[in-house]
Amino acid sequence: MVYLDTLLSQHYSAESLAAAVRTAIGKPLRRAAPLTQLALVGALACLPENRRHLPSALLWQSTGGPRAETQALLREVFIGSGEPMPYDFLATQPAIAAAQIKPYFPGLQSASYFPLAKKGIAEWFQTLTLAINWLEEERYAQILCAHLDTNTGTATGHWLVLTKLPLEKARFKLQLNCIGSSPQLPDTPDFPQLLSEAPINSLALQSPAGFRLALEFTRL
Amino acid sequence: MKRPVFIAECGLLCARGGNAQAVAAALWAGESSSSTRRLGDREFPYFSLPLAEPNWLKHAEQAVRHVGTQLGPLPAETPLFVASSSFQIGHFEQQGEPFDLPAANAAFSCQIADWLQLSGSLTSINNACISGFSAIDTARSLIAGGQIDDAVIIGIELSNDSTLAGFAAMELLSRTACRPFDVRRDGLVLGEAVAAIRLSSTPAPWRIAGLRTGLDAYSMTGPDPAGGPIGRVTVDCLNEANLLSNEIDLIKVQAAGSPGSDLAEANALRQVFGEQIPPLVSLKAALGHTLGASGISELVALIACLDAGKIPATAGYQQADPEIWPIFPVDRNIRQIKRALLSLIGFGGGLASMIIERA
Repeated sequence: MVYLDTLLSQHYSAESLAAAVRTAIGKPLRRAAPLTQLALVGALACLPENRRHLPSALLWQSTGGPRAETQALLREVFIGSGEPMPYDFLATQPAIAAAQIKPYFPGLQSASYFPLAKKGIAEWFQTLTLAINWLEEERYAQILCAHLDTNTGTATGHWLVLTKLPLEKARFKLQLNCIGSSPQLPDTPDFPQLLSEAPINSLALQSPAGFRLALEFTRL
Repeated sequence: MKRPVFIAECGLLCARGGNAQAVAAALWAGESSSSTRRLGDREFPYFSLPLAEPNWLKHAEQAVRHVGTQLGPLPAETPLFVASSSFQIGHFEQQGEPFDLPAANAAFSCQIADWLQLSGSLTSINNACISGFSAIDTARSLIAGGQIDDAVIIGIELSNDSTLAGFAAMELLSRTACRPFDVRRDGLVLGEAVAAIRLSSTPAPWRIAGLRTGLDAYSMTGPDPAGGPIGRVTVDCLNEANLLSNEIDLIKVQAAGSPGSDLAEANALRQVFGEQIPPLVSLKAALGHTLGASGISELVALIACLDAGKIPATAGYQQADPEIWPIFPVDRNIRQIKRALLSLIGFGGGLASMIIERA
């Protein structure tokens, strides 16, 4: 049994994202790509200060990824000077986000970035299943799962935080069960928002082809 | 882990050859030649695939189909995990302006699934240089947890100027050769590779005994020189495998020829293994640093070496670095290895250690 402690959805404009970063850490996050900034404000909003030192993993997915940054890199390499500015190249590398946010989230021990292959379809089922497995193995005390996207002028983050032990404000318990009759929510980027707004006590997340089990959420 | 996970099949295409056994034979023979890639006024050594096709997408298709064939027949519903740090950026370079990238950044994975004729679940992972082990860790956890029984994990990194230019801009590349742990080492040499494994809950000759990933936030481009985070991930991996450090027979080190990372890795080895450091081998001077494909390509190549009972010498190593000594790669030798540890140190702070053992 695993518990869903936090559901969070954040929406920012480019300006308000930078402001949110300053509010969260008291200064700008220097040379950080928008996805990294979004990861930082989301992770810190999900975790109170006294939980940021606990052994944690971050599993995050994105549909567009660093699209604008990659296009800028391609223009620099093929239309510009031929060699990019180092930080322009780093901005195209989502893997560095974890290293940039770790100083503010010292318990972060591991991070994985899952770029998505289709627009409108997410991989919450798989990341949550992975998180359940790792929590049951006691690899980590908590696992943050996120879908982050920055498009032209907007930034959206959806977050779920899973823990092995129920916290006072835990919202759901999660279980992998045989595929049953609970109403199913689609695996889309905004799944945390849909889950938060669902008016029923028990529901399942649509599982991908080939998986034998369904992920069931029961409201506490 | 609730049930063991085995490495059932392997496939490989890299600069050293078109399958795992050919690559192992080339490594044993000491082959390490590379080609070059030009970037503006500068030229860099580069490990290219032995494919003549100039069209990037057709080149990718040939490589993926070639490696897929080596895995044998696969049920169409087999889950597929794709590890890469650059995906199809080379294709968009060839397409030119306006660089119309797809709305979903791993759309290329759908193409790979089609080439492999797989229609089951599809997952993409980009954790820079540790992408391959992250993908294996993900698939292994799902198999061990009983959610799936088999998975194909493919690592793919194909030539593109964007990655080369980015690494060049950060002065991370050697202009001459990769020299792991050598005093003259001066940077990485990049390369192409496509490699795949099929993981299974069904017993096979090699089992994954432990796999852990970690994070080193010392800087965005290099690890803590003291090696602390690398050492901790190695210890986590040993603990997961329930092994003592003296039960490791061989280590495939990262040792990519980077002045800072090689030193950090050597310091980590000292912390974990003390004075009893197992034999070491690095494959990057012969295969190139294939970034998101490096974990899987080096795993497949190493397993082929171990199956042949032939541990290759580390190309590029000639002169000891006093800061690293007495840590150095072994000469080529014939020995039976029961357990090997493989280490990855990623650009961007990712770390990974994996232990494989004979089942």
